[in-house]
Amino acid sequence: MLSISLILFCSIFFAGIILRTKSITSGRMGPGILQPVKDVIKLFRKGTIYSDTTSIIFRIAPSVTFASVLMACMVIPFGSSKGLVSFDGDFIFFAYILALGKFFSIIAAMDTGSSFEGMGASREALYSMFAEPAFFILIGSFALLTGNTSFYKIFSSLHLGSSITYMLGALASFVLMMIAMIENSRMPVDDPKTHLELTMIHEVMILDNSGFDLGLILTTGYLKFAMYGALIADFFIGNLTALWAIPVFIFIQCLFAVMVGLIESFMARFRMSHNPQFILALSSVSFLIFLGVLLVLEKFV
Amino acid sequence: MINILIGIIITAVLAILFVNSKTKGIITLCAVFIVGIISSYYSLEALLGRNLNLLMNGTSIFGQVPVRIDALSGWFILVINFTIITGAIYGFNYMKQYMDRRSDLTLHSIAFILVHFALIGICSVQNGFIFLLLWELMAISVFILVIFEHEKPDTIKAGINYLVQSHISIVFLMLGFIFVAYKTGGYSFDAIADFSRSQSTLAGTALFLFFFIGFAIKSGFVPFHTWLPYAHPAAPTHVSGIMSGVVIKIGIYGILRMLLLIKTDYTTIGYIILLVSTFTGVYGVMLATIQHNLKKLLAYHSIENIGIIGMGIGVGCIGLGATNKWMAVLGFSGALLHMLNHSLFKSVLFYSAGNIYQATHTVNIEFLGGILKKMPQTAFLFLIAAVAICGLPPLNGFISEFLILGALYNWVFSANLLSLIMIVVAIGGLVLIGGLAILCFTKAFSIVFLGTPRNIKPDINERGPWQLVPLYMAVALMAAIGLYPAFFLRALERPVNLYTHNTVFNLNLLKVEAIDSLQTINWLFLGFIVLVAGLIFLSRFMTRKRHVESGPTWGCAYHSAGSKLQYTAGSYVRSYSKLAKPLLDIEKKDVGIEEVFPGEKHFETDSYDKIERVFIDKPLNLLSRVYDLFLFLQNGHLQRYILYGIIFITGVLCIPLIIEKMMILINFLNNL
Amino acid sequence: MTNVLLIIFIISLLYVSIANRIITYVRVLALQGVILFGVTFLQLHAIETWNLALIMLETIVFKAIAVPVFLSYLIKRNKITRVTEPYLPNFISLIIITMIVVITVLLANSIQDTHLDKIFFIVSLSTLFTGLYFIASRKKIITHVMGYLMIENGVFVLSLAVGNEMPNLVNLGIMLDVFASVLILGIFLNKIGDVFKAADVDQLSNLKDY
Repeated sequence: MLSISLILFCSIFFAGIILRTKSITSGRMGPGILQPVKDVIKLFRKGTIYSDTTSIIFRIAPSVTFASVLMACMVIPFGSSKGLVSFDGDFIFFAYILALGKFFSIIAAMDTGSSFEGMGASREALYSMFAEPAFFILIGSFALLTGNTSFYKIFSSLHLGSSITYMLGALASFVLMMIAMIENSRMPVDDPKTHLELTMIHEVMILDNSGFDLGLILTTGYLKFAMYGALIADFFIGNLTALWAIPVFIFIQCLFAVMVGLIESFMARFRMSHNPQFILALSSVSFLIFLGVLLVLEKFV
Repeated sequence: MINILIGIIITAVLAILFVNSKTKGIITLCAVFIVGIISSYYSLEALLGRNLNLLMNGTSIFGQVPVRIDALSGWFILVINFTIITGAIYGFNYMKQYMDRRSDLTLHSIAFILVHFALIGICSVQNGFIFLLLWELMAISVFILVIFEHEKPDTIKAGINYLVQSHISIVFLMLGFIFVAYKTGGYSFDAIADFSRSQSTLAGTALFLFFFIGFAIKSGFVPFHTWLPYAHPAAPTHVSGIMSGVVIKIGIYGILRMLLLIKTDYTTIGYIILLVSTFTGVYGVMLATIQHNLKKLLAYHSIENIGIIGMGIGVGCIGLGATNKWMAVLGFSGALLHMLNHSLFKSVLFYSAGNIYQATHTVNIEFLGGILKKMPQTAFLFLIAAVAICGLPPLNGFISEFLILGALYNWVFSANLLSLIMIVVAIGGLVLIGGLAILCFTKAFSIVFLGTPRNIKPDINERGPWQLVPLYMAVALMAAIGLYPAFFLRALERPVNLYTHNTVFNLNLLKVEAIDSLQTINWLFLGFIVLVAGLIFLSRFMTRKRHVESGPTWGCAYHSAGSKLQYTAGSYVRSYSKLAKPLLDIEKKDVGIEEVFPGEKHFETDSYDKIERVFIDKPLNLLSRVYDLFLFLQNGHLQRYILYGIIFITGVLCIPLIIEKMMILINFLNNL
Repeated sequence: MTNVLLIIFIISLLYVSIANRIITYVRVLALQGVILFGVTFLQLHAIETWNLALIMLETIVFKAIAVPVFLSYLIKRNKITRVTEPYLPNFISLIIITMIVVITVLLANSIQDTHLDKIFFIVSLSTLFTGLYFIASRKKIITHVMGYLMIENGVFVLSLAVGNEMPNLVNLGIMLDVFASVLILGIFLNKIGDVFKAADVDQLSNLKDY
């Protein structure tokens, strides 16, 4: 219960912090931190325009995507307290239900019959496909390290002691952060600001949504960010009591948001054809983490 | 009981010969239905623990024929019956367009009934000789079913391809069975079990590999799969559904049965099966993504799913070898459940493809589009089956992939370094298969059903109820498995128990743990569906008072949302095919733009299977070049042929004479 | 800590496989030099101080400073185009290098010697094969030289593994390094740059006899 309320709480501020960071680094004041939430509320009050080419798939896809992200949030634990649900193998459920959300958003984009959105859909399908092995091998390494197979048990028994486990933790957070950037269509894989054909991946899929649907989709994006932030924070707060854990959690989430903002301000997006190899490199790094775990467990001798 | 079944079948076959076309279909349907009900009754009994054991008197050649329906056969027979009954219902209406071909229909219906009988027989007999006979009967019946449209040369080529490869598999099986019969003198399966127990483990492993290759050709493991992508599109739709759903699963049945009988080194066999299956799965789905023919795409997907089933079997075997009960239970349950799941969703997909073909007369994806508005039920059923085949919640595909992944993750704790690398490869492979399947099926669904129509006539409507009812039946079962998996896992208890009974443990305790996870997943799925429904309701409620308009697609101000501007299937997978180019064999035929005011141009891509090129085409070319050397012998002149005959007779008469003379000469030379 | 540095070493190999500019190769070589400096410091605690100081000085001066500076000077002076030109696309390079690491792990596992620290063996073999792969799959001559430098780094890592017992081996490794820097970079490329204006390996085949 605690974890999902914290995730919801953080998601309110997350996008605002990113926007504010980007503005400050470009020398402006920027909008308030609650501005994205106000935008969403404004969108909820607007009417909708549906395209003639679309069908019922287009109308139900935002709800399905939002529901899938909400279900995925339910299995994320918070340090030493479980998520709403926790069972062996729940990370498999986590990854696959997110994939279900993506499936529906992809076919909704193709539904509009526009070549722009089809292009975004094809790229999104390709990149998410490559990001999956990285996530599973990463969780596999930590399952091996701690001897458990559910999120809650892995994180609560993760003791970062020696320098090598700290490095593994840092590498793992790097990989998770990159996966989070890919899934949320941020730099360096996708640029949310651009509206040029050559460079859009996720932004282009939602071009034809409006009104309540668009609000739902934006909320889904913010929620996904906070969810991945919670996952990254979980690596470091496994042993702390609730009193210490909540501030550290919020701090790590804010740090994550600021880093996203900084990366977006200072890095250019990769060339589109270099994206698959970048994402595959994440799987190789996960494999290296796996090797590192083997070293720690001394399976080598 | 057997006599009743055989009696029914012979009556049906004879009746079909004499009635008109429409009644043929009805008789086929009734016969299949009755046989199905009878065998299902015994299978259900077997799944509950009461095996059926009969002994038929055979002849002196092959001894007695024990017929046994135990839990494993029971599971397979239930799957077979369900798929064939839905196939018969679908086929009944599908064949109405061929009403005027009486003799073809006769053969077709007879072959259908015989296939059903052969499949059930293969699952129940325990005698090697009869097994081979029934296998041959099944192969030939499927061949007859496949070449129904024999006026097209492609169909005949596909059918003959299938027949040749099927017989290669029979050769391997025969070698295995005859070897055992030679060593022990009996054909029954118990003889195989005794023989392998008395020999060394290496001999058992070699024997198992022989059987494995034979069954692998039938199932479509890579690199023995090259007949599959030709046979499935060439056959009529309900036959494709049955082939994909059950005929290739008979190979899996054979492998599982041999695992029970032959005592081998389970760990080595497990590794081999796991490696072959991972490669099969990834290769199948990689090639499926670039197909433009909807049925060929589905055929390659069958190869991928056979790979997933094989992975489950491989992991289970390794679990048996390492006496890791968790692994064995999860692996085998996952494999058996995925077998059922695959026959369900593959048949739904094939039948939907058949509906589309009947409505639009093309299966080329690039010519379809926007069909959802005209055929909403087919589209809805296709969507559910597509979501299930990608292994996404809340349907049954997720459950079986969850079990197999769970087995792999459980293996992690007790593995040494080599196994850990294998685990990483297997997990990466399985997840990559899932991702690629999503890519492939979003392409298939969205280009066929969504968007604007590309090239088709506007007068399409939904098919009749006969062609939708079997799909609904299968989808209902899929949803049931997805939302109540614990029930099906309990049903699987006995078949899996067959494998793990020799390790001592408490079955009930383990099942409770597995069922615990699945119960939670159960509730999660129901919660998810409720949540989605709630959100849709909420969005409708919120927009009820607002202004809802409809207009053309905005698409960032591209106003001409015509069909020519849409994304095509080839473009959808273009970035993927560029990455995977070394493994694929894509030919591009294009006429480039050369003049200042270009005229009409063409661009076509065609993909070919690289393994087929390497393993089948090159050896065949080599063989035909060798044969070409002897082409001069076949020159068509009658006189030359008579000359050959004269040479032969002269030779037969004279050679002994010449040899005798030469012996005399040699003796003479020796005496000098 | 040594393990940490060595894992970062392997990550640098992965990074090189997807790099597009030659200057990235140079920077990674400098990074590898710094990592080796750290590993030397942590690992070789049983040899004499002045020998250790000499080794560490050589590592940091040659591997991390002198060679990268010289290489970038060469690139600018010969106006070599800044893009690496591989024969195989980067995607495949990445897969191949990952497989090299996997196979090296499997190879290391089958060695039964308990005195050898396996991680050194894995890193050194991976670097060696990666360097060989770079030489084989890139078109420019300057990337050949960089591949050779990478092979050297790999040999150096292996000598560090037994450096405590056999300090002379490490010294030999260093001399190899100095030899490479002076001979190849100083003489070979300079002269070739003057006489022979092309920087592609293809053009080198003009030197054939027939």
